[in-house]
Amino acid sequence: MRRVGRGIVSVSQQAGGILVLLAKILRRFFPPDIDYFEFKRNLHKMGNKSLFIVGLTAVFVGAIMVVQASVYVQQFSAYAFVGWGAGFVILRELGPILIALMFSGRVGANNTAELGTMVVTEQIDGLRALSIDPISYLIVPRFLSMILMLFALTVYGNIIALFGAAAFGQVMLGIEIRVFFSGVTTMLGPWDLWIGLIKSLAFGLIIALSSCYYGLAVRGGAPGVGRAVNSSVVASAVGIFVADYFLTFLVD
Amino acid sequence: MAAGARAASGEGARREPGRVHRFVEGLGTSAVDGARAARLFYSILIRTLYYSVRGRREKGAVLRAMYQIGNRSLFFITVVMGFIGMIMVYHSCTQVNRITGDLHLVGATFLQIVVRDFAASIGATMIATRVGAGIAAEIGSMVVTDQVDALRMCAAEPIDYLIVPRFKASVVMTTVLIVWSMAVMTVIGMLTAWGMFDVNPRIFWNTSMVDYRDLTMGLTKCLAFGAAIPIVSGYCGLTTFGGAEGVGWATTRAVVWSIFATILLNFVISTVGFYVFWA
Amino acid sequence: MIRVTALSKRFGRKPALDDVSVELPQGALWGLIGPGASGKTVLIKHVAGLLTPDRGKVEIEGQNISAMGEVSRQRLRSRFGMLFQQNALFDSLTVAENVAFPLRRLTSLGEREIGERVDERLARVGLTDFRDRYPNALSGGQRKRVGIARATVTRSEYVIFDEPTAGLDPVTSQKIFDLLHAEQRAMKSTALMISSDVAGLMTVVDRVGMMLRGKLVFEGTREEALASRDPYVRQFLRGDTEGPL
Repeated sequence: MRRVGRGIVSVSQQAGGILVLLAKILRRFFPPDIDYFEFKRNLHKMGNKSLFIVGLTAVFVGAIMVVQASVYVQQFSAYAFVGWGAGFVILRELGPILIALMFSGRVGANNTAELGTMVVTEQIDGLRALSIDPISYLIVPRFLSMILMLFALTVYGNIIALFGAAAFGQVMLGIEIRVFFSGVTTMLGPWDLWIGLIKSLAFGLIIALSSCYYGLAVRGGAPGVGRAVNSSVVASAVGIFVADYFLTFLVD
Repeated sequence: MAAGARAASGEGARREPGRVHRFVEGLGTSAVDGARAARLFYSILIRTLYYSVRGRREKGAVLRAMYQIGNRSLFFITVVMGFIGMIMVYHSCTQVNRITGDLHLVGATFLQIVVRDFAASIGATMIATRVGAGIAAEIGSMVVTDQVDALRMCAAEPIDYLIVPRFKASVVMTTVLIVWSMAVMTVIGMLTAWGMFDVNPRIFWNTSMVDYRDLTMGLTKCLAFGAAIPIVSGYCGLTTFGGAEGVGWATTRAVVWSIFATILLNFVISTVGFYVFWA
Repeated sequence: MIRVTALSKRFGRKPALDDVSVELPQGALWGLIGPGASGKTVLIKHVAGLLTPDRGKVEIEGQNISAMGEVSRQRLRSRFGMLFQQNALFDSLTVAENVAFPLRRLTSLGEREIGERVDERLARVGLTDFRDRYPNALSGGQRKRVGIARATVTRSEYVIFDEPTAGLDPVTSQKIFDLLHAEQRAMKSTALMISSDVAGLMTVVDRVGMMLRGKLVFEGTREEALASRDPYVRQFLRGDTEGPL
């Protein structure tokens, strides 16, 4: 009972801390107070870090969708529907979610570790001593570039996943790539694409907030950094799935 | 190309290496690094399997690891899989409503795809996040504080002593957790269909489409994912370097590559299964 | 006898050991000194077969440990006791279990005998009251002493101590040096000891080596070291601020 109580208190404490951080970040936009050099540097670094793994993941996700569908396709010889089925799942759900999970594991965790190390080595206090605002110098550029980068990566991953699915459909089921894409374009609207992209913005926000929050909240020296990375990845994953649930209902 | 050609012909001699040159060099280094990493990973994989059979049994180690895995992920998995079950049923019902409006077979199809793939593949993603990070952090911090060397001084082979118990525990617990998440998804999905689309639970609960092939596929995936996660994360942990910060990188790598390993294995198993059972 | 021949090791591009050769006679207490990051720890890890050199070899009684596979290395290592610089106590085991660990893994002693030996060791380092604590509940000096107890509990023929007195007060430091010295004499073991407490170390060693930037710049008996005209050794032994270092 007491354990549950303590758990609830600590969860609400963390949620509160994240909201406070969000408020602090938003205040830096009125008027805009952002370090553009840091922003560009972070965009570049984050993109570089995740391009390969996101592409690799996307190819296999596309292929898996076709394999899963192929059982039904053969049963009902519904070859024309493969493009629709794979496209629907990839664009709306699996694409954004899996890319966000990979992004959180690679970029989010990295960000937490970096900020956490800066906290325990007192670099953040060093910035304050130079009267540089750590939020606008460190956090806001990361926050912005994470959201933007995840959005861009989702577009890129979606394209790769669709091509992966089309290619695998051709190899495994002998579906013409043209037929596959006509399934995608005629049976899905732009709305299906947009829902996924809106989700990716929300996921980016969640990953950016939780990774910055846990990074800044590191206590207890170097081992604390490891714990913070772990909490940040887990919080992002839970956040992604919960947000996905609400968005799915909200947008329809 | 031009820069490379100029460097090759000796014009502008001994300045900085050209762009192409640097690129090729970088490619070469990463290929060598990649090959070395692959060999090390392979050797850890083989030794884990070897010691699982021939190793020295440490009393209670497997049980402790099982408890940790379960304790770490039960709550997390229950919540997330519940949400997934809801989303899946919601999507299938709205799509079916758009096309035929006959919600009779939604339950049967849902059960089949949950058993055959979704419980295992999504559950394994969760387990990879939680358990993989935990294993890599534990082993990684033992590496940077020399505890792994201290084990080797006491004739305790790190793979036998550290990875094998977690490997055995993970194979069992992943299966248990995935079966549990099948149950969670089914119950939540049933309630969603009932509450939002008025599908009677008795109609939803239709196992006629689940046959031995789906069960085999689901179980194979559980075992494969359960085996892959501790080996990939253990590898990331054992190759930790660079102090406490290195432990952070090791956890990151463990999460990303464990998730990727489950996706890759899912692809392989699904494809092979399709050709064996359905084609 | 331990013989090190032309040992070299790089980590990435940074050379950690550069052509180190030395011979340690049986039954001697060998001290190893030198500034931080000069390769002392890397050298002893090679001696224990925990690292594999890029070039050169380490021979223990004529057997080349550097060329062995992990299984045969393990057989040789079981004749070593080792204290690590950061102690490397197992976080998940209590003090008593930590000290008992080498006995459980390396010997076939019964539980009762193991218990007796552990108690004797803990009494020797003054930690009897802490036997059921976990390492993270101990101070730095206490952890060091647990590490010493664990390194000596198997009564090995070869013992390696990396900074046995780091984090201890001067009185305890000297007691530890005297204890390790007395036991090394009684067991007739061969000991290798790294310490930054040069003054304390020099009271117990038979021979001394000094490392600098991956090279062994001096090796000889204690008397030779104290009488050495080598500017590095003189400065290091005296702790002068003036000099080549």
